[in-house]
Amino acid sequence: MATTTEGTAQAGVKPFDIVATYNELLRSDPDLTMPIAAIEALVLLLTHEPSSTISETLDLLEKSTAHLKKAIPNPIGLSAGTDLFQRYLITTLQRPGQLGPAGDFKAIRTHLLSNGRLFIRRAKESREKIVAFGRGFIRDGCTVLTNGGSRAVASLLQKAADEEGGPSAVRFNVIYVLSSISKNIEEPSGEPEGMETVRALRAKGVPVSTIPESAVAYALGKADMVIVGAEGVVENGGIVSRMGTYQIGLLAKAIGKPFYCVAESHKFVRLYPLGQYDLPIEQHVIEFRSEEDIAEQNKQSADTSADRPIELPLCDSVDFTPPHLISALITDSGVLTPSAVSEELIKIWF
Amino acid sequence: MYSPQLSYMPSTTSQAMTPGLSSFLKSLKSNPIDTSIENLISLLKRRQICHSRSCATATAHLLRSVVSLCRTSESAKLIERVQSVGRRLMAAQPREMVVGNIVRRVLGLIRDEAEDDREAEFALSESESQPQTPRAFDDASMPLDRDSLAMGTERSSRPPLTSMFSLLSHPEPEASLPSTPGSQSPNPIPANGPSSKDLRAEVLVGINEIIDELDQVDEQISTYALEHIHSNEIILTHTSSTTVQKFLLRAATKRKFTVIHAESYPNNHKVTHDTVSGNLPSDDDLLSFESFKKPLIAHGITVILIPDSAVFALMSRVNKVILGTHSVLANGGLVAAAGTRVIARAAKVHQTPVVVVSGVYKLSPVYPFDFDSLIEYGDASKVLPYEDGDLVDQIDVQNPLYDYVPAELVDLYITNLGGHAPSYLYRIVSDHYRKEDISF
Repeated sequence: MATTTEGTAQAGVKPFDIVATYNELLRSDPDLTMPIAAIEALVLLLTHEPSSTISETLDLLEKSTAHLKKAIPNPIGLSAGTDLFQRYLITTLQRPGQLGPAGDFKAIRTHLLSNGRLFIRRAKESREKIVAFGRGFIRDGCTVLTNGGSRAVASLLQKAADEEGGPSAVRFNVIYVLSSISKNIEEPSGEPEGMETVRALRAKGVPVSTIPESAVAYALGKADMVIVGAEGVVENGGIVSRMGTYQIGLLAKAIGKPFYCVAESHKFVRLYPLGQYDLPIEQHVIEFRSEEDIAEQNKQSADTSADRPIELPLCDSVDFTPPHLISALITDSGVLTPSAVSEELIKIWF
Repeated sequence: MYSPQLSYMPSTTSQAMTPGLSSFLKSLKSNPIDTSIENLISLLKRRQICHSRSCATATAHLLRSVVSLCRTSESAKLIERVQSVGRRLMAAQPREMVVGNIVRRVLGLIRDEAEDDREAEFALSESESQPQTPRAFDDASMPLDRDSLAMGTERSSRPPLTSMFSLLSHPEPEASLPSTPGSQSPNPIPANGPSSKDLRAEVLVGINEIIDELDQVDEQISTYALEHIHSNEIILTHTSSTTVQKFLLRAATKRKFTVIHAESYPNNHKVTHDTVSGNLPSDDDLLSFESFKKPLIAHGITVILIPDSAVFALMSRVNKVILGTHSVLANGGLVAAAGTRVIARAAKVHQTPVVVVSGVYKLSPVYPFDFDSLIEYGDASKVLPYEDGDLVDQIDVQNPLYDYVPAELVDLYITNLGGHAPSYLYRIVSDHYRKEDISF
């Protein structure tokens, strides 16, 4: 943190706050995914920090990335973006060619800085590619069970619903699992995540049924497949996704329904979680408390809420779905088996 | 444009041959290419060519003629031509996935050769200034480097990148980099004669390699037999697949083991019986080019022929299940003769390893969205002969020819490239087919 302020002080402009930029980017564009917002934030950082040498830039990136990761309670999604950005920079520098080792670091810099918008556009286009690959999965008369608020899943379902105007559209049903925990902390009785998609689908004439999480096992018998989104796709092909996805995966496996995950390939992240509690996130889903503890905590929170590690609010908690539960990943580079993810990652890292 | 009756007759030589692979290959030389295409389409439609390998061989031979007769020097036109022929062939028999596989491989060949050409030209123009190893700090080469850098802006931006990088990478034309004005060399890749002529020759060489591969595939697979079949094992197999038979025969030269052969009634039981007893009809189309010298029993192998219904009962004694297949799909599942899934499931229950032997040419990049559509239904009279007219009227008789076996029921695939886990097949798919050809 200290180094960032140092760097900006040197530049003599208003200090650039990468965390605020990242949050602002996410807020301003609801279609933006976390990795892309992270890449955008880094691009903006580079525009603010005039660094002329490679190692200076890499150093700056590393420090700001570490700072950003520390400040955000769930850095899995964003680290996919920052890693991709860093690897891209390093590989481009190593590769002979147009932007190659001719020492023309400026060229790469200019390319990155001038094309920030382009990256966002491409990221959104990749969702369209996913739709093209995933269209075959949704067939006439099938019932899809889904959960969460994934934009990729929403666009896949909506595209299937309004393909080329009315009659040729696929006729399918959707069972939407709605979380009991409201997204909005200030207003606990507010509408759950995913209602927007439900409304959009209903507007397109798709019959949607909303069920609580407790009814998944009951409802799965009526579903033909499960399609979920993901926050991050980890190295072994498993996914980190909204709390509740893991249990849907387990149930789908038990009942024998295919379980598909829709994710853009920029969400692949170099992480190898061994289980639920091995994620690099501070989230307190399970908390054992006695009456005494509660009393103590109330007292503490009354004192001061500062200096406590940032933790994920319950509504944003995630779980890890291991790869053996996933039938296929629908990504913008095709329909992949979970084991294909590690190869994609190896390609950029080694 | 050609009436089917006309095209289907062998034009000049009018032997009394049953139409099939061998008659098609013979007529290929004498007939005009369009007739041959029509001919193969009708053969596929009538299922007169129906074995995976026969279909693959016929397709490869036809495409070889198509490419050699296509008098064009441009790769794009060649691709278009092969695509249009391929589309018609695939539409003729969509469930015969090997046809599509061969077409895709030929398309991949053309694309590879076209790109090699382009790269070779490019390398020539830059070779003196852009060595592979970064010599960037060599003072003398510095100005040259920058020069060629600017010149090559257009072409060198061909993405050598992975799909994950494609998000950040190669600038699109309008977002092009610090190109010095006037540096964009407006000359497109020169379509010079000799190199593009080579293209077709190279592609033909490649197709011949595919045809050779199709001929040798069973031998190649059988070289892995000794690694998988051990002495005194009990092997269960199903159908008269020649790949499996050769695999077992190779092991039989060195080892003694027992084979339990499920007869696969009603579609394949006659051939299976003949395979076991060793009196295969020699004029059989699909076996004509691989007549076995001896059946397994002649090698001193105990072969037990059982009805399909006994599979589960015997599975507890079986050490290994070896299966042939019709086609293999990108997710690791496979489409094989009806009854295969029952066997694979029974093996799973008994924790018996299931090994599938299959040539790489059967591996399809198609993802099975709808499993039911992959299953083909055959002649119902094999189940219930039409002599039982009364019953036929009252009962709905179905005779599915294939089963879809999900990937989790298979432990190992043995192809001509070696043994692979089902989850690794995607890798072989991406090695053999170009992404742009998967759905054309």
